[in-house]
Amino acid sequence: MQKIDPDHHDGTSDATPGGEADKRRPGELAFALFLLGASAILLWNAYGIAGFEALSSPGAIPMATTAVMVVTAAMVALKTLRMPLDSTETLRRDILPLTVIVFAVLLVAYGLFLRTLGFLPVSAIFLIVAVKYLGRRSWGWTLGVSLAALAITWLIFRIVFSVLMPAGIVPEAEMVQALRSLFQGGAQ
Amino acid sequence: MTALMDFLTVLTQPQLLLLVGLGTFAGVYVGAIPGLSVTMAVSILISFTFSWDVHPAIALMIGIYMGGVYGGSRTAILLNIPGAPSAIATALDGYPMAQRGEAGTAIGVTTVMSFIGGFIGIGVLALAAPFVSDFALKFQPRDYMLLAILGILLVGSLSQGSLVKGIFAGALGIAIGAVGRDPLTFAERFTFDLRLMEGGISFIAVMIGMFGVSEALLQLHHVDKDAVRQKITRIVPSLATVKKHLPLSLQTSSIGVVIGALPGTGGDIAALMAYDHAKRVTKNPEVPFGKGAMEGLVAPETANNAAVGGAFIPMMTLGIPGDAVTAIMIGALFIHGLNPGPMLMIDQPDMFWFIVGCLVAANFFMLLFGLTGIRLFTKIVEMPRSVLIPLIMLLSIVGAFAVNNSISDVYWMLGFGIFGYFMRHYGYPLGPVILGVILSRLLDDNWRRAIISEREDLGRFFEGVVTSPLSLVLFVAVILVFVSQTPVWRWGKSKLFKES
Repeated sequence: MQKIDPDHHDGTSDATPGGEADKRRPGELAFALFLLGASAILLWNAYGIAGFEALSSPGAIPMATTAVMVVTAAMVALKTLRMPLDSTETLRRDILPLTVIVFAVLLVAYGLFLRTLGFLPVSAIFLIVAVKYLGRRSWGWTLGVSLAALAITWLIFRIVFSVLMPAGIVPEAEMVQALRSLFQGGAQ
Repeated sequence: MTALMDFLTVLTQPQLLLLVGLGTFAGVYVGAIPGLSVTMAVSILISFTFSWDVHPAIALMIGIYMGGVYGGSRTAILLNIPGAPSAIATALDGYPMAQRGEAGTAIGVTTVMSFIGGFIGIGVLALAAPFVSDFALKFQPRDYMLLAILGILLVGSLSQGSLVKGIFAGALGIAIGAVGRDPLTFAERFTFDLRLMEGGISFIAVMIGMFGVSEALLQLHHVDKDAVRQKITRIVPSLATVKKHLPLSLQTSSIGVVIGALPGTGGDIAALMAYDHAKRVTKNPEVPFGKGAMEGLVAPETANNAAVGGAFIPMMTLGIPGDAVTAIMIGALFIHGLNPGPMLMIDQPDMFWFIVGCLVAANFFMLLFGLTGIRLFTKIVEMPRSVLIPLIMLLSIVGAFAVNNSISDVYWMLGFGIFGYFMRHYGYPLGPVILGVILSRLLDDNWRRAIISEREDLGRFFEGVVTSPLSLVLFVAVILVFVSQTPVWRWGKSKLFKES
C-alpha cells in the first residue's frame, strides 16, 4: 500500500511537516525527553490516586496508561538519541521560526487581555497586527481587511450563533440592542 | 414506516434542508482551502452549535463533513495541494490532468464519483447498522474495552507509521480524558490539587487546540507560497465516461466502506488503498498512473466518500469512532445528549434515520455544489494566508471560549495548540490523542465493570477473553495490529517472501 507522502502535503492533518524518517530533527531529542519526564510525573501522580489498592480502583486505568506513556516515551527517546542529527535543518528556520514565536506570543497576549479589554478591541488589535505582520501590505488594506473580517465574525457568531464573548470595555449589549432595533425599525 | 418518516425529516423541513445545504457548501470550501480541515471545522463548530437543538446542529455538521471530504479534491487537482488528507491520492493524477488543461474534466469526474461512492457508503450504513447494532448488544464490557484499544491502536499504526508514537499519543489522550474527579468514586485524578482541574479538561478545547491552532501555526511556514491558477473548461462529465468507470467505482466504493467501517481507519487510508487497487486492476490505462490517469481519480474519490458512510457504522452502533472526524462527531452527539452505541438504535432510532437522511441530502448538495460555482471557488481558495491564518486563530479562540464561557478553556486550547504543533513537527500523530480523549471514559468504565464482574481476578478476566469467541477475535486483532508493526513481524515477512 502506498504510504502518505508528506511532500505532497501542506501540513494538514497528521502528516509530518518536513523532516526525514531516519534523521533527528532539531529539538526532537529535547521534546522526547520532555515527554518522558512529563510521563514519569504523571505516572507518579496516577500511583498517588489509589496505589495498587484494587484493579477496579479509580487509579487503575490512569496508572496503566501513564505506564504505557513512560515505556513508549522511553523507547522514542532512545531511538531519537541513536539517530543522526539532520544537518540540513535548524531549529530557528524549520521548527520554531520567528513568525511562529511571534504568533504564539500574540495568542497568549490575546488570552490574557480577552476578559479585561473584551472581545472586540482585543480581536481587532490581534487581527490588525497579525495581518500586517504576515501580509506586509499597506495600512489601508490591513485595516480594511482586518476590520471587515472582525465585523463578519462578530455578526455571525454574536447574532447567528448567540455566542457571548467577554464585552470588556465595549458596550456590546447596547450595540446588539441598537442593531436589533435598527432592523426591527426597518421591518416596520 | 416510522423509519421512513424519520429519514424524510430533513427533506420535509426546509430549515434543516437549508442547514445541510449550507453545511455542505461550507464543507466544500473548508475542505478545499489549504490550511482548513474538516476536523478543525467540525471541532470549532461544535462549540458554536451546542446551544442549538440537536437536529439543526447535526444537519449542519453532517453537511460540513460530507462536503469537506469531497472539497479536498478540488485543491488537490487545481493546486497540487490536497485540502484534506483523504485527497492526497487524488493529487497524484488530478494535478497532471489540470496541467494538461483538463482541470474541468477532473473536477467533474471526482464530483460524480464522490456522489456514487457517497451513496454506496450511506446505503451500506442504512442496511448494516441495524444488524451491527443488534449484534453489539451481545458485547460484554471487556469487548468494548478491547474495541476501544483496537481503534486507538489502528489510528496510531496507520496514520503515521510509527506505532510507538501512535501508542504514546493514544495513551496521552486517555490520560487527558481521565483528568478531574472520577465520576464513580469522586477521587481526584491528575488534578495536582488545583480546583480548576477538578472538572476535567474540555475535550473541545483539546480538539480545537490540536486541530485548529496547531494547524494555523504550521501554516505559518507556508505563508509565502503562491497559489497556482488553472484554466477550467467543461465540468459535467459525459455519460460514457461515467459508464466506463462504473465497475471500478463500485469496487473501490466497497473498499471505502470496509476501510471506513474499521474502527480507527478513515477516508485517507481508504483512498490510498483504493488507488493501489486501481493500479493493480487497470491493465492498460489510457494515460499512465501518476501522469493523469482517470482511474487514479475515480478510485480514491469513490473510496473516500464511501468511507464516510462506513465510518458512521461503528460510530452509531458501537460508539467507537472510525477516525478523528467521527471522534469529534461522537463528541457532538454527546453534547446534544445522545449516547452513540447499540442503545441509540433501540432508544432513539429516529436519530439514526435522521442522520442517514442528512447524509443523503448532503450527498445531493455535494453533487450540486461540485458541478457549479467554480468561478467563485477559485476566488475563495485564493484567499491570502496572511488573512486566513489569523482568522483560524480567532475562530479557535472564540470556539474554545463559547463552550463554557470559560477563559481557562481558552488557555487549555492554546496550550494544546502549541503542544500539538511540536507533536506534528516530530511525527506524533494527533488522531489517537483525540480518540483517546473521547474513548477514555468508555475504556475506564468498561474495564472497571469487566474486572468487578470477574471479582477482581485477572486470571478469570483472561479466561473470559479466551472462552468468548467475540472477545477472542478482538483480543487477537489487538495483538495482530501490535505485532504487525514490530521489527520481528517485518523480519518474518521478509523471510517468508524470500523463501517463497
